[in-house]
Amino acid sequence: MDHAGYAALFLTESREHLRACNQALLAWEQDPAAVEPVDALFRAIHTIKGMAATMGHDAIARVAHSAENLLDALRTGRVTVTPGLLQLLFGAVDQLANGVEAAGAGTVPAAHDGELLAALDRAADGGAVGAATAEYAVHQILPAGRAVSVAIRADAQMRGGRAMLALRRAGSLGTVTALRPAAAAFEREDFDGRFTFRLESPAPNEEVVAALVSVGDIAAVTFEDAVPERAEPAARGRQIRVDLRRLDAMMKQVGELVVARNRLVDLAIRRGDPELEATAERIARLVGGLQSEVIQARMTPVGEVFDRFPRLVRDLGRDLGKQVRFEMEGEDIELDRAVLDEIGDPLLHLIRNAMDHGLETPEVRIAAGKAPQGRLLLSASRERNSVAIRVSDDGRGIDRSAILARARRDGMVDAGTDTLTDDQLLRVLARPGFSTARTVSGVSGRGVGVDVVATRVRALGGTLAIQTAEGKGTTFVVHVPLTLAIVRALLTSIGSERYAVPLAYVAETVEFDARSVTAVRDREALVVRDRAIPTVHLRDLVSMNDGTAPKYRPSVILEIGERRAALVVDALLGQQDIVVEPFDAPRGMPSFFGGATILADGAPALILDAAALL
Amino acid sequence: MSHTVLVCDDAIFMRTMISDILTQAGFEIVGEAESGVQAVEKYRQLKPDLVTMDIVMPDMGGIDAVREICKTDPDAKVLMCSAMGQQALVVEAIQAGAKDFVVKPFQPSRVLEAVQRVLG
Repeated sequence: MDHAGYAALFLTESREHLRACNQALLAWEQDPAAVEPVDALFRAIHTIKGMAATMGHDAIARVAHSAENLLDALRTGRVTVTPGLLQLLFGAVDQLANGVEAAGAGTVPAAHDGELLAALDRAADGGAVGAATAEYAVHQILPAGRAVSVAIRADAQMRGGRAMLALRRAGSLGTVTALRPAAAAFEREDFDGRFTFRLESPAPNEEVVAALVSVGDIAAVTFEDAVPERAEPAARGRQIRVDLRRLDAMMKQVGELVVARNRLVDLAIRRGDPELEATAERIARLVGGLQSEVIQARMTPVGEVFDRFPRLVRDLGRDLGKQVRFEMEGEDIELDRAVLDEIGDPLLHLIRNAMDHGLETPEVRIAAGKAPQGRLLLSASRERNSVAIRVSDDGRGIDRSAILARARRDGMVDAGTDTLTDDQLLRVLARPGFSTARTVSGVSGRGVGVDVVATRVRALGGTLAIQTAEGKGTTFVVHVPLTLAIVRALLTSIGSERYAVPLAYVAETVEFDARSVTAVRDREALVVRDRAIPTVHLRDLVSMNDGTAPKYRPSVILEIGERRAALVVDALLGQQDIVVEPFDAPRGMPSFFGGATILADGAPALILDAAALL
Repeated sequence: MSHTVLVCDDAIFMRTMISDILTQAGFEIVGEAESGVQAVEKYRQLKPDLVTMDIVMPDMGGIDAVREICKTDPDAKVLMCSAMGQQALVVEAIQAGAKDFVVKPFQPSRVLEAVQRVLG
């Protein structure tokens, strides 16, 4: 059998199962008496073993096998779980992950870690090593016998019991090995009625079928070549895997289609032909539907990225000697796959920072009158057309005065400044180079990575904000757009030039009226409902000073978190879906443009980067 | 000659119901037991063709009774009577030697199907 075709599937499925392993181990660690995590772990590792053996990755299969033996001993009570054993299993899962990634990268998985294997086997030796060994041996050396797949009727009562009867009947004909799912699954009410095994027996297929059917309620018996079978058949609905590049290509096509549609609608309206207009309108609607379908197909729950953090936090807590309760919220909030892929690293930085510099050790916390266990919250929530992800700790907070002193010395703020707002604080922290300052104790590392995080988030068209209170904790808020490729934008103009403002950051539009202008610290501000919002004149930004500004001008109130600005333009032209083209800013190009786009009439327009304006 | 049956259940109601279903189908109820211990004893005395066994009974549950019975007679034909949600116990009973099972509330047709399979 050609295994190459299965390599990608092996990699993605193994990663899924490894993630399940980590989740199960964490749950088990929380509640050592719980049974479910052990079963889940056993299932996942068993599946990895089967896949790895089929792919010929012996080193992976060997580790999985030893881990499975230990789990079996733990499950049957021959060996009692201890923190040391859990740590050993974490180690085994890591080893499996290394092996899987090495296999995925096309390198030969490293020879198995003899020490780990020995430790696993020793630990499992609390009792006799059971049937799993025989199964492994058979599975490894040569898959003996034929693969049998049995489905029990959907309306059968207690399918697990029926499966057990069928299995015993099969056992009367020969030797049964490689049972999937493991027999323990039969004892659960949610067993879905499908199982596979290998049967080594001289009996012809017909006889095997007759024997199995005789136990009753059997819907189907099939014989097949060994193919890694999903341990948990897709109960979540019918799904297929699609290469992300396909979706990217589709998205690009749809993007161009959207531009063409906009052009078509624009032309149709100008021609004034009602028939053409109606057709254009219909095509516009269809393209809109297609666009949202394609975007939907790319949407992935943030949980996919969040899932790796509980393990990270646990390990960091151990290494740093900190107790932490890690909570996650909003894992089901969805983001474009492309955004999601980019957001993992910045979040990792923020979580590391919070663990390393935000949360205190239990002794320090107790001395400060806090609970010894710190709290770290990772949450996602939908806000207009963007998603806000918060990393929040209840640690020591940031020492503003230390940052201020440092910022003054480096000339980052006026010497007269005596307080830093959260925004100013972030700007200082995010300054490249600030991170190298290690003189201010307790703060030194605070800057580490913040510049990196800010840059990465900006590159996604997102923003970073901070809220911190000394002694109480720090929250970093990352806002990212739902999708990268197509955004809804407000079109504005200065003279004959048009500029697009992503709607995600538009709070409202108001008239720029000289009577509602005031000055706040020598800066012009617009008063909107008793609130002074600093103004930004787009004319100034694009150096259009020909004195042709219209008398009455609208302003667009931009809003990111708590920050606001009033962008004064010549005119508002309406909303449009725009396709963001990657943008390599020419030298000298102002940094407040985040990209370019082609408008409905075929003319190009620049896209304003709201974050840069605020 | 009709097949002989030993009915084991701690509830008279259930014993009566099973007996009725089987009698109407032509089986001969040769004995009843209301505990696991009794079931094992009566099996030895009566040597019935079939045993229906409740899983949860006082004085030795049905699973232990199956184990005991199969120890002396590996060919004993025991049909387990279980309630919904006892999947794990049913699996255990099968491993102990039970030949089939039915799930309460009983449907006569399902009980008879199971009996036919066991005796078949």
